Amino acid sequence: MFARFDAETVAQLTANGLFAGSAYGLLGVGFALILGVTGRFHFAYSFTYTFAAYMAYTLTFRGLELPFWPAALLGILVATALGVFIERFIYRSLVRRAGATALLAVFVAALGIGIAGQNIIALLWSQQSQPYFGPGKKAWALWKVRFENFAVWQVVSAVVLVAILVALLRFTGLGRAIKATRVNPELATIIGINANLIYLVCFGIGTFLAGVAAFWQGLRFAIEPAMGQRPVIFAFVVAFLAGTARSPVRVFLTGVIVGVVEQLASIWLSVRWTETTVFVILVGYLVSLSVRGRRLSELLPFLRPAAGDPPAAPTTPAVGS
Amino acid sequence: MEVWFNYGAQILIYAILAVSLNLLLGYAGQVSVAHAAFGAVGGYSMGYLVQLRHWNFIPAMLVGILIAFIVGMIVALPALKLSVEYLILLTLAVSSVILGILVASKSLGGTYGLISINNIDLFGYHLGHKRDWLVPTSIGLAIIFAICWRIGESPYGRVLKGIREDGLVAQALGKNVFAYKVSVFAITSAMAGFAGALYSGLLGLATPGVYGFNFSLTVFAVVIFGGMANLWGSVYGAVIIVLLDPFLQRVLKMKAERAFVVQLIVYGIALTILMKVRPQGLFPEGSRPIRRLRGRAPGVVRVEMGEDWVPDTKVSIKEGDHEPTHSEQGVREDRWQHAPVVLQARGISKSFGGIVAAENLDIDLRKGTITALVGPNGAGKTTVFNLLTGFIRPDSGSVVLNGQELVGRTPDAVARLGLVRTFQDVRLIQRVSCLSNVMLAVQEQPGEHLVPLFTPGSIAARGEEETREKAMGWLRFVGMADFADLPAGALSYGQSKLLSLARVLATEADVLLLDEPASGIDTKWVDTMLDLIEAVREQGRTVCIVEHNLHVVGRLADHTYFMELGRITAQGTIDELTSSERLAEAYFGT
Repeated sequence: MFARFDAETVAQLTANGLFAGSAYGLLGVGFALILGVTGRFHFAYSFTYTFAAYMAYTLTFRGLELPFWPAALLGILVATALGVFIERFIYRSLVRRAGATALLAVFVAALGIGIAGQNIIALLWSQQSQPYFGPGKKAWALWKVRFENFAVWQVVSAVVLVAILVALLRFTGLGRAIKATRVNPELATIIGINANLIYLVCFGIGTFLAGVAAFWQGLRFAIEPAMGQRPVIFAFVVAFLAGTARSPVRVFLTGVIVGVVEQLASIWLSVRWTETTVFVILVGYLVSLSVRGRRLSELLPFLRPAAGDPPAAPTTPAVGS
Repeated sequence: MEVWFNYGAQILIYAILAVSLNLLLGYAGQVSVAHAAFGAVGGYSMGYLVQLRHWNFIPAMLVGILIAFIVGMIVALPALKLSVEYLILLTLAVSSVILGILVASKSLGGTYGLISINNIDLFGYHLGHKRDWLVPTSIGLAIIFAICWRIGESPYGRVLKGIREDGLVAQALGKNVFAYKVSVFAITSAMAGFAGALYSGLLGLATPGVYGFNFSLTVFAVVIFGGMANLWGSVYGAVIIVLLDPFLQRVLKMKAERAFVVQLIVYGIALTILMKVRPQGLFPEGSRPIRRLRGRAPGVVRVEMGEDWVPDTKVSIKEGDHEPTHSEQGVREDRWQHAPVVLQARGISKSFGGIVAAENLDIDLRKGTITALVGPNGAGKTTVFNLLTGFIRPDSGSVVLNGQELVGRTPDAVARLGLVRTFQDVRLIQRVSCLSNVMLAVQEQPGEHLVPLFTPGSIAARGEEETREKAMGWLRFVGMADFADLPAGALSYGQSKLLSLARVLATEADVLLLDEPASGIDTKWVDTMLDLIEAVREQGRTVCIVEHNLHVVGRLADHTYFMELGRITAQGTIDELTSSERLAEAYFGT
């Protein structure tokens, strides 16, 4: 099994891991923004993901025949609108009604939207996967590592988008409003921030980022109705591993690491085990979270002394509370 | 006809899965999306042993159940401290790991799985046709339903619901939340393993596709449709979901492949709509669909809730103001000094990062007396309660109750040793009746443990009768007997304080820590509350109160500790304390 352990293989696997990882990272950043700020366990993220790739594909190759790149952007924007729509017209009213059980209610509804959405796509297009070609696809090689130009654009676009998001959060009023809402929506509302609007913005940004990831995924491989399931579960993994209230940079790098680990695991393990490896790491992480003195007082803020908030010690702040 | 037998057996198996998941999700409030994966454990184990090891069906199935039980228990261990979103993620990851292992195991057929598991015999009968499976699956559902019903509708189930609504309160009342969560997770996982063994037997295969994510979601959907914590609902839900397939194929004439896709669309949309219009499911908790069809409406509770309501307690109420005189206070202080110490805390310290919440506290609580803890907001009074009862572990110091060290014990163990507390924000279990709230607090109920629950005879039933009597007794004591059947959520704030008092009294603990017992109560019956607390003292119990209202403290307290910024800076009678200018300034900020 160790026969494959040579520099060439390692380099190729690392490159593949970076490509996949940049997508996980981008998805993780989007999901963390949504969960961290709005508290919605947005399982339908996989649907908007898939929908973006299908819209980009359809606007070019079916009916409209728009030029490729504008069509791609438009497709992603249509999916973004869908994400915002789901928050505005489904989650918001659910949360208002469900009160204390809001998290479960949103999770169930999101699950429903996710299942229905995936199958509606299967019904309207096809259950089979469809090839999705872009103009100017080239195979490149650097040293002995082979890859295609789209994989590089994927990484570049992910890095650029994350950088833009970081700048947005750090330097604009909107970014500060998002961070304020993440810390305490009620308080944010009191100082004049429209929390509902911030939620919509977060859904918009999160869905857009996922759409970009989906577009490249479709372009590099193919599009199919179930294409969202696996990457989105990886997005959950990444977001939770990094911490949903953490900076996008940290979440993104976590995604990259997850991608590289997943690929490199195939050196020691048979390929059949690589995906499982990632989940084993996640389970291990969750177990360590629960045994490593995450005391009740950290999960339940009311137990804290009224004298002032204790410094936030937990490595992963509880979200959506 | 064979196809209908197949649907029938499928309904029964889905119902087994849904009923067991409902015990976990609906009663205990533990969100798991890994139920199908536990089914896969049972199905694969059975399939492997029957097909490749030529075992008999029954022992093969038992092994499957056992493995599912063990895996379930292991998964549940870290689940205790995780909040809902982490639990969802954990079960998602676990189900991915289980399926990943199955797919990667060559001896289990890899991605193809085990196909043609068809040499199944049961007591000499060969189960070759779909119709042969109707009998074992029916018996299976009957057994699982009976077990889940027995567990869910018993004191054990009452604890599960308590944990679902407020795990902290359940712990404060002496329930070992950890043990309950782990055992209910393991039991329901074993049930899923059982269903999986039946399912793989029926289909003749155990493949990753059969037990994939869609299956997990479908079972989840059945529970949500049917209604959480309503086992009948889960059975009806299974009927509806399974029969959707023949409806689409035969009535709407869809092709099988298309019908499969449309089914999932229908579930998905229905789930979303259901969450909007009827989040409690088609058959909400507590409704009995069959009885309702017979036309018996649920009993209407009629109680006087007007503004003039006063607690109907038998404790004699003293009229007028009973502020004790200075000399009376001296007598009480004297009594306090001579009473035996029940709880002794020494050198309790706790800091959160750099913030000192408690510093070197020495507190004595003495038998048959009321001790008060006063001090300005933020002094750390509630933190003291948390430190004494084990909700927060002190950095140093010791707490001894009747000769037993409490530091290091869990809050439920502390409660069982006889130290219980109320919460400032009351924390009643809103969705269950007042009586159930009090019954939850009664200690040593046989029906809270699985062995007596499943022992023939009437141990559990008699225990439940006794519990009910005791709980009614305490409701009567606080004057709330008329409210027994009303959900606790319907009470006014003051009434809920009374109920919360009845709840801690029902634990029959020696030492009661009452967090602001009289705040927010209608002024007309503050006296009643105080009389009740005095009556508790008369019973020889030891009480400690945190209170802001100095009149309340003056009337009740035999001894008072004054706290500032995490330290006890003075003690004595309330008059002594309030006559000190410095303390008055610290307290009133004047």
